[in-house]
This record gives sequence, structure tokens and C-alpha cells, in this order.
Amino acid sequence: MVFILGNNFLENRLLRHCLETFYGIGTKHSTRILAKFSIYPGARVGQLPTKTINEITAELSTMTIETDLRRKMRDNIQRLRDMGSYRGRRHAMGLPVRGQRTRSQILTARKLNKIERHG
Amino acid sequence: MATNCIRCLARPSLPPSFLVNASSSLRIQSLPSTASMGKRYASKLNRPTTNGPRKNEKVKGQKTLRIKKKPPPKTGKPPQPGERKAMRKRIVLSNTNALEVPGMRELDKGLVGEWEMGIRDARRQAEEGHWVLEGALGMVAKEGAKEGEAKNGEGVIGQVVALQGQTVDSLRAVEAFKTTQGWGFFRRPGLLIREESVMLSRKLIQAEQGNLRLVIDGERGTGKSLLLLHAMATAFVRGWIVINIPEAQEVTNAMNDYAPLPNTNPTLFTQPTYTATLLSRINKANPILADMEISLTHSLPIPIQSNISLSRLCELGARDPDVAWPIFQAFWAELMAEGMPPVLLSLDGLSNIMRESMYLAPDTSKVHAHDLALIDHFVNYLSGKRRLENGGAVLAAASRSHAPTSKSMELVLKQLVELQKGEEEITEKDPFEKSYDDRVEWALGVGSEKATKAGPVEVLKLKGLSKKEARGLMEYWAKSGVLRKKVDEKEVAEKWALAGNGVVAEIERGALRMRI
Repeated sequence: MVFILGNNFLENRLLRHCLETFYGIGTKHSTRILAKFSIYPGARVGQLPTKTINEITAELSTMTIETDLRRKMRDNIQRLRDMGSYRGRRHAMGLPVRGQRTRSQILTARKLNKIERHG
Repeated sequence: MATNCIRCLARPSLPPSFLVNASSSLRIQSLPSTASMGKRYASKLNRPTTNGPRKNEKVKGQKTLRIKKKPPPKTGKPPQPGERKAMRKRIVLSNTNALEVPGMRELDKGLVGEWEMGIRDARRQAEEGHWVLEGALGMVAKEGAKEGEAKNGEGVIGQVVALQGQTVDSLRAVEAFKTTQGWGFFRRPGLLIREESVMLSRKLIQAEQGNLRLVIDGERGTGKSLLLLHAMATAFVRGWIVINIPEAQEVTNAMNDYAPLPNTNPTLFTQPTYTATLLSRINKANPILADMEISLTHSLPIPIQSNISLSRLCELGARDPDVAWPIFQAFWAELMAEGMPPVLLSLDGLSNIMRESMYLAPDTSKVHAHDLALIDHFVNYLSGKRRLENGGAVLAAASRSHAPTSKSMELVLKQLVELQKGEEEITEKDPFEKSYDDRVEWALGVGSEKATKAGPVEVLKLKGLSKKEARGLMEYWAKSGVLRKKVDEKEVAEKWALAGNGVVAEIERGALRMRI
């Protein structure tokens, strides 16, 4: 097991997949991080020396990811709500925000749009 | 009745007797204009009126055919990690079912010595003013064949010669054999000697006193990789040290780890694991390294004894990828020291290194293949920037199957071939093409300012076999028992023509692999 930013990962997992499990890191950021530390895309977590893992953890801790990113997003929604905008209201009502029709297919909006949005 | 319905769109006044008799709803549907109504009637009327079991309804106790889907049978263990790859990459070099071909010559010192004698004869005759030696060793071959007296090794052109056991081991270690080649058909590995192979061998022998930089090019299936293998076999027989990169794409397609090399500008990238494997292959393939001791002093990250053999040095590098690159450099410095044997540096799949690699630099730009330390090393010698101090050759074979296109490489090779032929009009750069690469031109020894003093590389453009060679090859197949046909003029001519004027892989496909 390898410890990256407070999470444990199995040694045979690809590093880029591990990175992409963090909220806020997708293909683009994982590619950038791999390139920054000269790690090839097929590298598995277990192959890397502890030093590199620590460097990656340090890099991740400087980025706005996970809880920080979630909080930022909630703040953004709260701001919309506080100023009483239409978008804020739609978020609070759990309805589509960007002018979509609501006759059918608003499952995503129902699932996600809340003031205390999770992800 | 029906016509009435069309006009008035009213409910058809069907007599009940008609509807009851109508067994199929199709018939009722065929009534025009009131199809839906008819259906409604039909669905009502089609209901069975008797109290017996309905259609499609199960009766208790009735036997029905049940076909259960069986789960797929479990056959043994699932393949272990790496097992399938090992199967895929397995090289079979012998087939006990194939017949042994009597009277095969071996590619040994004697044969290579005969080719060397041929050079001397040619040189002597060139001095006497019969013909020009330089750049026309193929001509020598033809003239020599006509005379037939001088023992210049040209009698074997068009014959298949066997590889010696030691050479086979070495070739296997440098991964010169490929899975796509038909080694598994025959009793022992053999090579067809073509005119070009004799020419190349002679060039190699001459390169012991100089340097040879050569690119082997040709259409798909013309035997580029096999000519490279022939060169390696000759080099092993002559006691050279062979360093081979069997697949250039393995170096550039980002499947191995890499690390920036400090204090280099532009930054070079080493590939620790690949270099370690390469060192292990070099060590395995060149048994003569065991007899050579270190003669220079090196500053290496690990302490080494001053009197270890080069073989041991390679072993140390192969064991620890972290020190593989410094050890490779030390090993190379040893090879370039005085009194060492010539070196053959070879690479297959040239176009893979003539473009950007799949590796990413820290700023997420793509790393050019020439910025990979190993490729940089190769390219320095291919371009002529650095010289092999004890003689030797740098050979690269282009690949035409599953190879990326490199516009600059295509152009330069085309131009060089045209120059060699002495054509008046040389192909020029396409002014609208944007993907030309200066570094590629430099690597092949051409280009405006950056051109090296050594001049452009030589290009050996392979074509199909001659009919004589094709016949020799087919006779060998027949003697091995793989080709069950009479090999005569007609058969050879047919296969030769069908194979696009003797493209050797196509001849093989038509004669050996295709069973109709």
C-alpha cells in the first residue's frame, strides 16, 4: 500500500489512475503531474521511490482539490443564492440552471443542484 | 363492401361468418382503409373459442426442450502475468519436422574471408584500371561472378547459408530474430545470400579501417530487417561488438521509465530500465567482452574494481537501472579506447526515432526522440558528428509496416537515392509541407548549415530478389520439405512475378504461408 495525500493505494495500480481518484484531478492534471516528475504513463504506484511519492504529495497539497475545491464550489453557489440571482434560485430548487427545459430529463439537475452541493 | 369503406371511411359491415372463418389476421388486415378496425375485430375473433389449452401455454407435465446455457468450462489456470507476452514474443528457430538440407554452407570465417578476398581482387583490378571500386562493390560482384575463377565468395549468391550455433545464440540475444519471420519452418536458421548482402558484408569489412554509416531502405517485405540481421551475423563472425536496438518504437513510445539527465542543454532524458536491459543484451550477445579488461578510469556512482572485465561492467549496469546510463557511457568509452574491436551499432525501425517521442518534458511538451540519451548517442554516430574510433558501422533499417511517417526522412532518403543514381533532377522540398524536421535532416547528414563534415549517410535501397536468388530460395524451401512443388523456371517466374517482381516476403507468402 502506498500513501498519497492521506489515501492508501494498492501498489499495482497505475499512478495516473490513483491521481484521478482525487476530486478535481482529471486527465489533464494527472498528465501534467506525471510530466512534471518525468514519470511515464504506465508507471505503477509501487514502482516509484518514496521520494517521488512525497514530491507528488507535496504537489497535490498545493493544488485546490478535494475538500478545498468542494468548498470553493459551494461558496460560488452560495454567492449566487445570497445575491438572489436566478441561477442561485435554480440551484436551491434543484432545477436546471442554464435554461434547459424541465418537461423531462432533469435528473442530473435534481441529483446535483443543491445549495450544499456535494460534488 | 370493401370499396364502400375506402370511400366513406366507415366501419366495414362485415358479415360475422366471414370474420369467424378468417383464421389469420393478415387476411383481415388486407382489407383496405379500416385496417386498424379490422385488427381490433381480428384480435377479438382470433381468440380461441374452445375451453382447451391456449396456444403457447404450458400444460402441466408436458415435456419441453430446455436448453440451458452452460457456463464456459474452466480450463486450467489463467495465464500468469507476462505469460501471454512471452508466448507472443517466442522465437522458434528450429523445426524437427523439416528436412535437413544437405551440403549447406555456413556463414563462417571462411565465407566472410572469401568476401574479403573479393575486395582485394577488386581493389587490385581497380588499381589496374579495370573499374572503379568506390561505391560500386555490387559491380564487382557481378564481374566476379562472370569470371568464376577467383574465390571471392560470390558463388554463394542465391544460396541459403546456415548460421553457426554461436552466431545464432548471439543474434538471439540481441533480438535480431523477429516473430514475423518464418524461422520456425526450417530445421536450422539460414540466410539467403543476395547480391546486396555480399555488398554490405564487403562494406562492413572495409569499415574496419573506417566508418560506415548506412540506412537500409526498401518497400515492405523486401528484407530490410533480414539484411540487418545478415550484417550483425557478419559482424559477430568477424569478432565485432554488436549493439542492437531491435525495435526503435520500444525506445520512443513511452513504455519505459525515463529521467532527465542533469547538466545537459537541451535536456536529455535517460531510460534507466531500457538501458539496463540493453546492457544485459550486449553482455549476453558478445561473449568476447569477458576477455576484455577495463583500461580507463571512470567516475561512476558505484565503486568498481579497476581490473574487472567489460562483461562484468555490463552486468553491474544491467543489475541496477539507476546506474545503467553512466555505466553504458563508461562501457562505450572503453569500446572507443585504443586496441578494441570494431563496433556495430544497429537499429531497426528508423522512422520511429525521426520524430517526437511519446515522452513528455516537465513543461508537458513532447520530447523529441533525439533528446532521448540513447537515441542521441545513436544519432551522433549516424550523422557522423562522432566517429567510431576503432572502425565499425552504424546501420539503421527503415520499417515499412506499422511505421510512422517522417516527411523529412522520406525526402532525404529519396534525394540520396536519386543522387546515387546520378539523376539530374533531385526531388525538392514541398513548399507547402509544414512537418519537415531539421533535426532529422541533420541526423542523416544533410541540411544547410548544420551539415556535418562527414557528409550524408549511404542509402541501400532494397528491391525484390533477382530470379536467380528467388530460385535458390525456393529450392531451399523444396529441399527442406516445406514447398512441395517442382521448382522449375516456370514456377519461379510465376511466383516471382506474382510477388511484385521478387519482393521476398510476398514470395514466401505465396509459396509457404498461403495454402489454397
